[in-house]
Amino acid sequence: MRGALLVGVLTVSVGLALIMMTVNGAFATRLDDIQSQVGTSVTVRPAGSFGGGFFERGGDNNGGGANGGSTNGGNNSGTSTDPAASSQPATLKDQDVNEVTAISHVVSVSSQLTARYSGTGLESAVQPRQGANPAAPAPPAGAGGGFRRAILVTGTDDPASLAALGVQSAQLTSGRTFDASESNADVAVLGQALADHNGLKVGDTVPINGTTFQVIGIFTSGTQFGDNSLFVPLTTAQTVFNRPGEIDQAVVKADTASDVDQVATDIRQALGQSNVDVVTEQTIFQAITAPLSDAKDSSRLGMIAALGASAVIILFSIGLVARQRVKEIGILKAIGASNWHVTAQLGVETAVISITAAILGALATFPLAQKVANGLLSSPSTPTGGRRGQAFGAAVAGRAGGVLGSVNVAVSPEIFLYALAIAIGLALVATVVPAWYVGRVRPAEVLRYE
Amino acid sequence: MNEQTEASNGYIAVATDLIKHFQSGPSTVRAVNGVSFRIPSGRIVAIRGASGCGKSTLLNLIGALDKPDSGELRVDGVDVTRLTGAPEVAYRRRKVGFVFQQFNLIPHLSALENVVLPMELEGDSKRASDEVASALLRQVGLADELHRRRPAKLSGGEQQRVAIARALANNPPIILADEPTANLDSKTGRLIIDLLQALRRDDRTVIIATHDVDVAAKADAILEMSDGQIVSRSGG
Repeated sequence: MRGALLVGVLTVSVGLALIMMTVNGAFATRLDDIQSQVGTSVTVRPAGSFGGGFFERGGDNNGGGANGGSTNGGNNSGTSTDPAASSQPATLKDQDVNEVTAISHVVSVSSQLTARYSGTGLESAVQPRQGANPAAPAPPAGAGGGFRRAILVTGTDDPASLAALGVQSAQLTSGRTFDASESNADVAVLGQALADHNGLKVGDTVPINGTTFQVIGIFTSGTQFGDNSLFVPLTTAQTVFNRPGEIDQAVVKADTASDVDQVATDIRQALGQSNVDVVTEQTIFQAITAPLSDAKDSSRLGMIAALGASAVIILFSIGLVARQRVKEIGILKAIGASNWHVTAQLGVETAVISITAAILGALATFPLAQKVANGLLSSPSTPTGGRRGQAFGAAVAGRAGGVLGSVNVAVSPEIFLYALAIAIGLALVATVVPAWYVGRVRPAEVLRYE
Repeated sequence: MNEQTEASNGYIAVATDLIKHFQSGPSTVRAVNGVSFRIPSGRIVAIRGASGCGKSTLLNLIGALDKPDSGELRVDGVDVTRLTGAPEVAYRRRKVGFVFQQFNLIPHLSALENVVLPMELEGDSKRASDEVASALLRQVGLADELHRRRPAKLSGGEQQRVAIARALANNPPIILADEPTANLDSKTGRLIIDLLQALRRDDRTVIIATHDVDVAAKADAILEMSDGQIVSRSGG
C-alpha cells in the first residue's frame, strides 16, 4: 500500500517533469526553426515612420501633374493632404545610403521610395466599401470625380527583393522586372489585380503624373492589397513624384547574423540616433517569439520544479522506509550482510519504484503533452511586436510559418529513455541517505531497543 | 594467544578483562565490567544472570555485533576487538550464528528464504542454498509444508526453529543464543534447548544467554553474571 502510494505520487511528479521536458523540447525546436529563418536584414527608415505602417506611408499624389503630390510620408491618420499635418518628417537621402554602404560588414543596400497615386491614369482594383470608415482619408482637392482609393507605387533599386517591401511570395506571372540598367527608365511592374482591373497587359502603357510608363511585367503576391500596387525604378519614382534624392526606406544586408547588431549600431551612429529608426529582423523575431520564449522558460522551470519535487519525494520516502526498517537492517547486518549489500537491496527497491513511476509518467506524456503546451501558449501574453514594425513584423512572422500557438508537440518513444534516465537518477539520489544511514546502524543497538 | 595455542588448549573463545560501558543519560551503565573467560570448544555454555546483568551485551561482543571499550577477545583465532569492515562482516557471516529471543526473522521472506539469506550473502548458488536450507529446516524439525510460509504464519516455536536453521546456514563453529526460550511456552522451550544440545554433536560450541535456571542446567558449563561481572563458574 505504501509502495503503491509512493509510485502514484512519483508518477505524477515524474510525468509532469517528462511532459515539461517534451514541451520544452518542442518549444525549443520551434524557436530554432523560426530562428533559422531570421535573415541578416536591417531596415532603416526616417525616425517615427515605423509606427505608421509601411503601406500608409507616402503622400497621395492626385494625378494633377508632376508637382501635384505631397510627399509627407508617415502620417498615421492618412490625412496626408491636410496642410496642418503636412510637416515633413525627416527623410533619408541618397547620400545617407552611401554612408550606410560604407559601413563594414554591409553587403548590400537597397532603397525604396513609396507614394500613393490616386490620379486618373490608373484605377484602384480595391474599391471603397459603402459606409466605409469615416476616418478614412478625405478625397484630395481637385481629384475630380468621386473618392478613389490610392494605389501604392514603390520605386526600388532592387526589384528582386519584393518580400522586404512586405509583398510576400511575389511571382511574375508575365513579362519581366526591370534591372540596374533601367534605373531611370519609365517602366513599371504591375500587380495582377491592378492590371486586370485596368485591362493592362505587358507591352501596354499607362500614364502616371504625366509620365507614360510601359508595363514590362505583371506579378501576383497572393493578396488583394499587394496585387493592387506597382513597382517602378527608384530614380524614376523620385522624378515622377517630385522627391529627388529622397528615399523612405533602406534595406541593409549584413554579411553574417552575428554582425547584424553591430551594423545596426553603426547605422544609428552614422545617421544619427534621433534621425532614423533602425530595426533588425532579429528584433522583430524576438518580439514575435516572446510568448513562445516565455512558454519555453515556463516549461523549463516546471521541469526543474517537477524533477526537484520527485527527488524530494523519493528521498524523503526512502529515508523514511530505511528508518522504519531499521530492525531489518540490523538483522541483515547481524547475519553477515555488508553495508553495501543492505544499501544495494534498498537501491534495487528504490529503482523498481522509480522505474515503475517513470514508465507510467512517460505513458501519461503522450495524451497530455500537447494539452500542456497549448495551455502554456494560451497564457495572457500574446504575440506582438508593438507598433514598431507591425507590417515588417507581419511579413517576417509569415515567413516564420504563421501562428505561434500552433506548436505541434510530438512525443517520441525516446521519452522512455529519458524516463529511464530520470528513474536511475532518482534511485541514485534516493539511495544516498539510506546508504549513509545503513552505515551508521549498529546491529546490537537496534536489536537491543526494538 | 594464537589460534593454534587456543585450539590445542581446546578453547574456542578467550576473553581477558573485557569492558563495555554505555552512557545512559548522566549515568554510566557498566554492562560488561572486566570480564575474563575461556570457553571450551564443542560445549554448551550458559551465561546466566538476572535481566540487565550484561549477558546479552557479552553475547553481542562475542558475535561482533558490538565493540568492547577495552580488553581482549579472541574467537576461533580471530581478534574480535579489532574487527572492522569486510573482516567484521565475514566474521559475522562465517564464525557465528545468532539466535535471538525475538526470533528476528525477515518478515517478508518465507522460512526457506530466511535460511537461504546468509548463504546468498556468502555468494553460494541459489540451488545449492535452497537444498541446504531445506535440509536444515528438516533437521530442526520444521515440516516441509511450512518451508514456504512467512514468519507471521508460523508459531513462536516454529519461528525459533527457522532462526536456528538460519544460524546454522553457513556452518559456523559457534552458535550464540540470546534468551532463545524466553518467548516460548515451557514445552516448546524444552524442545528448542534439546535442539541446541543436539548441535553439540557436530563439535559446535553453543553459548546461551539465559535467566532460566532450567535452561542453564542443561549446559556443560555455566558462567554466572551479576552487574557486568562473572561472579561464578561451574562445569567444564
